[in-house]
Amino acid sequence: MTLAIGCAAIFALGLYGVLTRRDLIAIVVSAELMIGAANVQLVALALSRGADGAFVSSFALLVIVAMAAETAVGLAIIVSAWRRGKREQIDDFREVTG
Amino acid sequence: MTATEIALAASVALMLLGAIGATFVKDVTRLVLSLGLFLLGVAAAFLSLASALLAVSQIFVYVGGVLVLVLFALMMVRRGGTEAPRVESRHDIAAAATALGVFLILMLVPGPIEGVTLGEVAVDPGTVADALLGPDLVAFELTGVLLLVALLAVIVIVKGAKDS
Repeated sequence: MTLAIGCAAIFALGLYGVLTRRDLIAIVVSAELMIGAANVQLVALALSRGADGAFVSSFALLVIVAMAAETAVGLAIIVSAWRRGKREQIDDFREVTG
Repeated sequence: MTATEIALAASVALMLLGAIGATFVKDVTRLVLSLGLFLLGVAAAFLSLASALLAVSQIFVYVGGVLVLVLFALMMVRRGGTEAPRVESRHDIAAAATALGVFLILMLVPGPIEGVTLGEVAVDPGTVADALLGPDLVAFELTGVLLLVALLAVIVIVKGAKDS
């Protein structure tokens, strides 16, 4: 139960960070919190429901790798945005404003 | 309270501490340190859940890889002025309400996590390797393709910015 509450709280904290942070790198960091909490919750929930440990571990491993790739691309976009227009805050991106 | 439960509670505390720091601190260095703390907490949680392979992977990929990547990104994205770099936030009630709502949904929907004990569900890395090279081979190969695509994407994105 401690783990369930902790993971839910961390996911919510990450979501709050994504919604309130202005700095692009801080937004990526907040997204990492959400991913990490979801992955731990996934493993714990699957193991507690009697899922195959090898399958759960391999699935979680693939999630870790996929999310590392996502972070690398996200950070590359941030560095690219900085090089193009010295933009590092989310408010600097007005192109997609509705 | 068993040793596993204490270890799990300690790892959750570590994760929470890191998450709170990563969400609320304004100093960039502390932000990265908090992320490191959180990632170590995740590795400890995996270890407590009897998956040493996942714990080691978490440390190698995230603490050793992603954290360094974030540090490099921070160094490359030059912060203005001579003052210490700060991370700005815009706290508002709507974001807090949304986060609280998601927290409540996550508490209600998945159901309780019970019965996870170290001895019963210990995952042998050999069986994980068998699974990755057996029934999960397609997913494993697709992950390799994903990593290659991500690598090419990073090169294209950063090179495009350099050319312009």
